[in-house]
Amino acid sequence: MSDPLDALEENIATLRRAIRDAATAGDSIRLDELRARLRRAERAWSALVDTDDPSTAPATAERMDPPSSAPVSRGAMLPAREHAHRALMLLQTPAAPKLIVNVHEAFFPGELSASKMSSLRRDEERSYRAAPGARPYYLCPALTYDLLSPARALVTISTWRLEQRIIGPLSPRVDFLTGAIRIAEAIRGSIDSPDTEASPTAWRLLWRFAVNIPGATSTKPAADVGTTDPNQVIDAARAELDVHADTDHATRAESARRARKQLSDVQQLFGASLRDVRHRQAEA
Amino acid sequence: MIATPDQRLDALRGPAPRMHHNARTLAALENNPRCMLRAVLDASGSDKAAIAAHTGYQAPFGQSSFALARGNVFETMVKANGCAELLRVLRETLQLTLPEVGYQDLNDVGGDGRAESRHARTTHLLTAAARGHGSDTLYDHPMLRLVVGGHPVFLEPDLVAFRVDDRFHVVEIKSFPIVDDQAAPAQVRAATTHACAYIIALRAMLAASGIGPESVSDTIVLIAPKDFTNRPTGAFVDARKQVATLTRQLERIQRIGDLVELLPEGLTFDLAADDTGRPQRPAQELAEALDQVPATYYPECLNHCEMAFYCRSRARADGSLDVLGSAVREQLGGVDTVTMALGLARGTLTPNDDQVEMAVALRHAARLRVELHNSPGAAGAAS
Repeated sequence: MSDPLDALEENIATLRRAIRDAATAGDSIRLDELRARLRRAERAWSALVDTDDPSTAPATAERMDPPSSAPVSRGAMLPAREHAHRALMLLQTPAAPKLIVNVHEAFFPGELSASKMSSLRRDEERSYRAAPGARPYYLCPALTYDLLSPARALVTISTWRLEQRIIGPLSPRVDFLTGAIRIAEAIRGSIDSPDTEASPTAWRLLWRFAVNIPGATSTKPAADVGTTDPNQVIDAARAELDVHADTDHATRAESARRARKQLSDVQQLFGASLRDVRHRQAEA
Repeated sequence: MIATPDQRLDALRGPAPRMHHNARTLAALENNPRCMLRAVLDASGSDKAAIAAHTGYQAPFGQSSFALARGNVFETMVKANGCAELLRVLRETLQLTLPEVGYQDLNDVGGDGRAESRHARTTHLLTAAARGHGSDTLYDHPMLRLVVGGHPVFLEPDLVAFRVDDRFHVVEIKSFPIVDDQAAPAQVRAATTHACAYIIALRAMLAASGIGPESVSDTIVLIAPKDFTNRPTGAFVDARKQVATLTRQLERIQRIGDLVELLPEGLTFDLAADDTGRPQRPAQELAEALDQVPATYYPECLNHCEMAFYCRSRARADGSLDVLGSAVREQLGGVDTVTMALGLARGTLTPNDDQVEMAVALRHAARLRVELHNSPGAAGAAS
């Protein structure tokens, strides 16, 4: 979680130095602009420090908002990127836009369409390049473990550790199993809490995960959407996860080390292009 | 000497850029190897679609965009969430073990989607896997290359699965359903034909690194929707026969020179396109050029050949029985044309010794038809 905070702090320090220089030089236009940027960066920094707590299950947290707030619950009017962020925070894994939309529909109020997701991804990098670190988080691509280039159609959050954002050969399966566990936990959470109830869409999503995990559905032939047991899914997913987790973690950790050494800040977030890769290989 | 056929082929095409073979033209090669027109047009790299359009027999629709979209949606669904559905099916069919989930995405190389770079990476990864370096199992959209008649063709299977310590399996993901373990034979055949080209290309690639053909299985894995649901199921399809056929046809392509020798001097299918790409050659002249090369038309040609409508009109004009499909053709052995069949049925033609039995059958059929037509209740159903 420390990377974007570090980047922001560095950015803040740079801006402060620039403001001092501009003040000395008496350049008032530049001074105003820099001050605005500094304010934005500081706001982003405090937002990040405040919100950086993924341990609370977002599903239940969201639904346990005081009922006095607007009837169309608080989340409904958020921009698309906030929706995507919430869905990703629930999953805690890189996810395809389609899965993000599915998770959003299953657990959160409001509209999020796949087309919005694709325009989002383009905007995020542009926004970062225009004012690095001005937002508390960015939606950015996952990185491939070997070339460290953007992985096709997988979205992550910039505040995650690099290890979490790198996709090795085993990672798609590991992320699928982790996602299944997270979804099952979210559903279990809403069963346990008295004022919430998991939606039929959520159950359906869990079922779609469960049928592709060995031992996660009951062996009775009548096993259907309603009969999926979150605890059984969690146990089955953990069992298979144990097989892959160590190898996958080693690959990711190694790649992350390499990425930190070789890539610039922007590249660590949005991936290296093939030209950068060739350049690196030529140097090596 | 070797350059001559190539020069002849270039002359047949004219100055237009060469069209490359693809999975579709290779399928046509396997399905209708006897058609000389197709062989010559494909070998010369002529633009069959443009030629057909210019002669007035444009295919009224290309590949259905709905079918393509449906196919893509199904494939995406099967591969979604770390190939979750696919892994379930492959664990059932190929008995993949739990650790065999390693996935390599070969759709692009670091954002570079060019066929050459993808092919290089595919070669690197698959050769390493065959040698036992690397523990990955699923290779998504590898880019294979096959040299057909001296020209490279890039082929892209849906997926190649590698079972550790075992063999490569070509996996075809298709959106037609397998109902009660049965699928439409024509579609299975089409899918298998594509897969054969992949098997041959994969073997060629591994052979370049000294790895034997036994490392690629002759059996393809077909993934398709189960019954009337959208959930995939898997089935093995034995492709040995088709692999052998296609291999033989590919070897024959090398002998295209012999075919070209038979063509009249100065023959060309050049459309004489102007700067804007509009064909200037009179359509009549082009049709005459095409008519000099014998075509073998089957109704199945409509599935894979752009020239099919042209050939069908020619076959109809000749009264050829080919128009009615291979079933009719085999039934009417010894009878060549529609006119002859009708003549025998009406009794206006006297059958020769070989045709006596056939003539009796035809007359019987004609009598039944007349009876049906005369009974008012059944007339609608029979016509």
